[in-house]
Amino acid sequence: MGEIRPVYLEDKLKEVEDSGRLDYRSKALPTWCPGCGYFSIVEAVATALCELGIPNENAVMVSGIGCSSRFPFFINTYGIHTLHGRALPSALGVKTANPALTVVAVGGDGDGFAIGGGHVPHAARRNLDITYLLFDNGIYGLTKGQTSPTSAIGFKTPTSPYANPDRPLNPLLMLLSYGASWVGQSYAGDPEHLRSMVRQALEHRGFSYLHILSPCVTFDKTHRTYVNLGMQVHPLPATHDPADKLAAMGEAMKNEQAPAVGLYYREQRPTLDDALDALVEKAGGEKRGLRGGRGRKLR
Amino acid sequence: MNTDVQIAIVGSAGDGTIAAGDILRRAMAEIGYRVISFDLYPAEIRGFGKCIARLRVSDEQAYSLKQKSDILVSLDDSHAIPHVGEAREWGAVIYETNSVNPLPEGAHLSAHIDPGQVPYNVPIRELAEKSTGAARSRNIVVVGYIIGLMRLPLEPALRALTGKFKGKGEIAQKNEAALRAGYEEGLRWFRLDDIEFGPPPAQERGAHLEMINGNAAIVRGALDAGIDTFFGYPITPATSIMERLASEMPKRGARLVQTEDEIAAISATLGAGFAGARAATATSGPGLSLMAEMLGFGVIAEVPSVVFVSQRGGPSTGMPTKHEQSDLNMAVFGGHGDAPRIVIAPTNVEGCYRCAGRAFEMAEAYQTPVIVLLDLYLSNRYETVPFPDRPPFEADTNRYADTRGGAAGFQRYVLTADGVSPRSTPGQPGGMHVATGLEHNELGRPNDQPDMHLAQSRKRHEKLKAALRHPGFEPAKRFGDTGAVDVGLVAWGSSFGECLEAMYLAQEEGIRCAALKVLMISPFPVEMATSFLADCKEVLVPEVNYQGQFAGILQMQVPRAVTRMTRIPCAPMRVEEILDEIRRLAGRVVEPQAA
Repeated sequence: MGEIRPVYLEDKLKEVEDSGRLDYRSKALPTWCPGCGYFSIVEAVATALCELGIPNENAVMVSGIGCSSRFPFFINTYGIHTLHGRALPSALGVKTANPALTVVAVGGDGDGFAIGGGHVPHAARRNLDITYLLFDNGIYGLTKGQTSPTSAIGFKTPTSPYANPDRPLNPLLMLLSYGASWVGQSYAGDPEHLRSMVRQALEHRGFSYLHILSPCVTFDKTHRTYVNLGMQVHPLPATHDPADKLAAMGEAMKNEQAPAVGLYYREQRPTLDDALDALVEKAGGEKRGLRGGRGRKLR
Repeated sequence: MNTDVQIAIVGSAGDGTIAAGDILRRAMAEIGYRVISFDLYPAEIRGFGKCIARLRVSDEQAYSLKQKSDILVSLDDSHAIPHVGEAREWGAVIYETNSVNPLPEGAHLSAHIDPGQVPYNVPIRELAEKSTGAARSRNIVVVGYIIGLMRLPLEPALRALTGKFKGKGEIAQKNEAALRAGYEEGLRWFRLDDIEFGPPPAQERGAHLEMINGNAAIVRGALDAGIDTFFGYPITPATSIMERLASEMPKRGARLVQTEDEIAAISATLGAGFAGARAATATSGPGLSLMAEMLGFGVIAEVPSVVFVSQRGGPSTGMPTKHEQSDLNMAVFGGHGDAPRIVIAPTNVEGCYRCAGRAFEMAEAYQTPVIVLLDLYLSNRYETVPFPDRPPFEADTNRYADTRGGAAGFQRYVLTADGVSPRSTPGQPGGMHVATGLEHNELGRPNDQPDMHLAQSRKRHEKLKAALRHPGFEPAKRFGDTGAVDVGLVAWGSSFGECLEAMYLAQEEGIRCAALKVLMISPFPVEMATSFLADCKEVLVPEVNYQGQFAGILQMQVPRAVTRMTRIPCAPMRVEEILDEIRRLAGRVVEPQAA
């Protein structure tokens, strides 16, 4: 931690207004509980889109169902709020139809690893050129606090009143083995780190997976709290080489004790768009340019 | 001189029965005749199951096969013997003279030919062996023989043969020799007077005739309508739609992805539809069940999308290789909530082409999922189709919003007179909005107020009514006698062909009879059905499912008594059975049929 300086409200407001990132916030107010970590994710995505100069109309937020999946309503871009678990295949459709779009899939741990778990490996192995932001609070918030696939053993919830007996999944390890070409982790309680990671994920060409740890302040008073996470979260070792997949997997395994944030793994390889374009070439067809919803016809 | 000849070839798997039928029907189509053809083969890839290739060759496009064949060919007597009765009186039965091994009494087809049928015992094996050195080409010999016997030109069959065995040098040569040997033999035999091949009909202007099956026609329609993306998962009997698109779409710069399951396929299809693409997927009953929830999303979020469904026997895994029309309720009502969608069901192969193209137009024009409902029979049956030289489909039927200078939020779901709200797609400035599965207001923001739920529900239902007047599309069509009739048939999907055939036969018997073909089942053409039913003393609704699903929908829309004729023979309905029902309803005496 560096030197501590006072922050004045007027200065902060002016800085935010001047930055232009408010243009990326919609007029709808987030529906989340006060103190929820997701507010900082909205801020991070708006900031990243703004800093990267992506026009509002060229970005699409795609989500499933859950607290986190309300996200598209709070960002001023195009969005689809689909069905529980179906953010990734819906994003596949959007990106395939119009590769010029910046597509961001968002969702929670239940949406992504319970009902939607079957879609994650395929988006990753195809290297679909989108960013997947996984908001992990280890709980089902929207249905009022049941266990999720990333809940800890021993967690007591309305559906596990005698304590959850199931092992939590290790999403980072899964994504690494699925073949995601960018895998990182961040923490909603550290907005600076989050902003930087979201930006890097958006900049990556290929499937970028950012796992964001975030507390559910309403339904989890015992496990994944700001206090607990604040003590556990630490940066990846400075010596970690993001090109080394085995090392990344080793670090991911340590997450079961205490989560480390940062970039675990990154590689450059052809995306699904590249593969589909190559196919067109092989078949002797002509690339359609901006397919963008028959984009040629759009005014 | 009118041509209307049906040929059936019966053999065992491995005899090349289906291949022979394929060459023959391609040759007939090239000569310029209209053909309808449906093959029967066992579910197993290998083994000695029964195969039958049937083709009906005529001047005008027939809607179904005939009950009796004019020419019956046996490539395997053990399978052909039970089918001898299929050859009509004075029809030809062609079979092998010399069997390889001495056969027990009664195992040779010659012992089973009915009086009146004309036997042609041909040394098929010998001709094959002499011309090619092996017996494998017996099927090709038979094709040549029929062409020679009927004094038809050989060249079209040669070209069909070349097309089929392209790049297989020696095999192609041998097959050509076999074809010529069969042809020469056929020329030497006496021709039957009452099996006639007249001069082929004149070709339609501005169109070219092609022999194609239902799934291939769907593909052609989709391509001619400018399909941009396809996401699918293999499932019998819809798979060949995806396979054909996989080779054709890249040639046109369009994109196809095989997804991890049907849920992903429909999700991606809706994602692409949201992005403005002409997007489609194809599946069968089990896949449609999986897609039901996402189709509801397409309805509430008003996303253009097309789903081709080829039905097979159900429920559950059911009978993947058997014909049935039992997914109608699923297509029309499947999923939760009040979720109206467009469901159209072509009745023949040409209809598959037209419905496929129009489905994309409708999906965009009314901003909704459109289900095109086929069945195994229609998917796999071949017909000659006059394809127009210029595709008859509109390339873009969207109603776009002008979002320039829109400072306030874009009202994606604004309430309009006809219920269709002008849309914007990603990439269009000022048109940003969220498409959601939650009930929403005009802006697309979540809203669960009763007034808004009512307004949006009404919009989603009312906007579809315009589809009944969609340009270039007839939701229902009447055939047969005009005015009051004794018996009126109401039919949908592939069953309509058999109904029409039965209706014509009933008319020949002096029964006043008409048939209503219903192409659009949701929204239902209530006015047309009402006026048709008002003309009918008795109404017969034949369909291939147990419950009478279509009759149920008909009665829900137009309350009146109808006779449900439901049959589940794992195959198309028999014309003879429908005819018997018509006779019964018309008060005629019906002879009990032998089982």
